[in-house]
Amino acid sequence: MNNQVNTASTVLPYIYAGIFIVLVWQSVVSFTNAHVTLLPPPLLTAQTFFKLIVSGELFVHISASLGRVISAWLLSSLVAIPLGLAMGRWKRFEQFLDPVVELFRPISPLAWIPLAILWFGIGETGKIFIIFIATFFPILLNTISGVKSVDPVLVRAGQVLGCNNDWALFTKVILPAAMPTIIVGLRISFGTGWAAIIAAELVAAQVGLGYLISDGMEILRSDLVLVGMVTIGILGVMIDAVFQFLNNKFA
Amino acid sequence: MNDMTPEVMNTKGISIKEIAVTFNQGSPSEVEALRPVNLEFEPGEFIALVGPSGCGKSTLLNVLAGFTTPTSGTAYVGNEPIIKPDIDHGMVFQDYALFPWLNIIDNVAFGLEQLGVKKSERYEIARENLKMVGLEDFAEKRINELSGGMKQRAAIARVFATNPSVILMDEPFGALDALTRRFLQHQLLEIWQKNKKTVVFVTHSVQEAIYLASRVIVMTARPGRIKLDKNIDLPYPREFTSDEFRDYEKLVYDQLDEELAKTFKLEGGGGFHE
Ligand SMILES: Nc1ncnc2c1ncn2[C@@H]1O[C@H](COP(=O)(O)OP(=O)(O)OP(=O)(O)O)[C@@H](O)[C@H]1O
Ligand SMILES: [Mg+2]
Repeated sequence: MNNQVNTASTVLPYIYAGIFIVLVWQSVVSFTNAHVTLLPPPLLTAQTFFKLIVSGELFVHISASLGRVISAWLLSSLVAIPLGLAMGRWKRFEQFLDPVVELFRPISPLAWIPLAILWFGIGETGKIFIIFIATFFPILLNTISGVKSVDPVLVRAGQVLGCNNDWALFTKVILPAAMPTIIVGLRISFGTGWAAIIAAELVAAQVGLGYLISDGMEILRSDLVLVGMVTIGILGVMIDAVFQFLNNKFA
Repeated sequence: MNDMTPEVMNTKGISIKEIAVTFNQGSPSEVEALRPVNLEFEPGEFIALVGPSGCGKSTLLNVLAGFTTPTSGTAYVGNEPIIKPDIDHGMVFQDYALFPWLNIIDNVAFGLEQLGVKKSERYEIARENLKMVGLEDFAEKRINELSGGMKQRAAIARVFATNPSVILMDEPFGALDALTRRFLQHQLLEIWQKNKKTVVFVTHSVQEAIYLASRVIVMTARPGRIKLDKNIDLPYPREFTSDEFRDYEKLVYDQLDEELAKTFKLEGGGGFHE
């Protein structure tokens, strides 16, 4: 009962938002009399959407994109979490690396596309590299701040309860205390990685939601472009909901 | 070094020899927190430490816990010099310092796990200690499901679970309401009377000090020195309203007032006795 109410109260706002967007969209189409290649009406887009679902093509694009984001995100966690833990723990190390991080952070993943092609060619690696860049910093920065903001009293409690070397203190107290913040970083970075999928698939992709969009543009099929955009939006919200759910369950 | 069987009493005295602490020595923000302090605590004594705010009570306790290295002097637990935090010097913190990612029983069993006690045994000991503070029904609860008083009882169970030879408490009941506080004072006394561990208890409340302690130490305004060192020769349980209790209170307050007056003068405030 309570659960149903909860689900309804989280899902309903999105349904209202969807209706609102469709209404605005449709009225823009009606008032401006836009040509279908400029702005296809919602109904036509929905038809294309269902065609792609029925043919299974949409799922091929989704799984290709999702696969890239997940691999890049995992790879990113593998590098950023240990690095962030070390930076959060050792001041010297952080003081040394922080300026480096700050110099790289403002560079958009888009800016890495040329180098990604030069270094990795036009295969999967380059695409994963772009998303890696997009997911790296949120994980790194959250891990650092998670470690640095551990309540010093908890560290002291750990010390008087027998964590008498750095490793024990780190694994038994600092890491679990920093975990909620690290998980926030993982969640945010999945979002930024997902948003970077277009940039990554701009580079000679054969499949993926980004490919669907750029291909739609080339063949003047704006309905395909919109289907790609809508799918990215909906999946973004759904992925975030999964993280919320996991977070509520374990925190 | 640390015997885990609860039946075996584990209690040691504390020697404080010429302990002085100056923070940020040599810099403009230098603070002399403690002037050489000498004290001997016998095994099983309940020491209450009172003094004006900022006089160095926590500093002294942190030296005993091994968190702060003194600028000079050495403190000993038994014959062992204190050089770093040790599970044999337990500590109870004002804001509980329970681990929020563990449930109550895992918090209480935490120290035993570090000592390598095997799982079934450490849960058994943890359960006994939870029972001692009346929290046996809350073993599986999460920290944020407990009230402040229950959290502090869990923290007390946690410190006793590892059977340390001394227990340090820095204003453990400072954040609790008056009723909860009375209840916990009573409970702590019962536990201490059973196992006679050496307790060093910092408090702002003169009444609490005299109610609990076998010996009350008043510190001077910063830099902290010993102003008064007085055994409280009253049988437990003590009556707040008895004449003897009031006499001790007056004695301690008189000493404190002198120091408070100094503090106010130092801070450029008006006269203490308006
Ligand atoms: N890490 C530190 N660095 C610099 N100064 C410190 C540090 N810790 C404490 N002090 C200073 O040392 C003095 C004694 O502090 P301490 O915390 O021991 O006082 P206290 O008696 O416990 O006070 P309260 O009753 O308010 O808790 C204070 O002036 C405080 O500002
Ligand atoms: Mg203090």
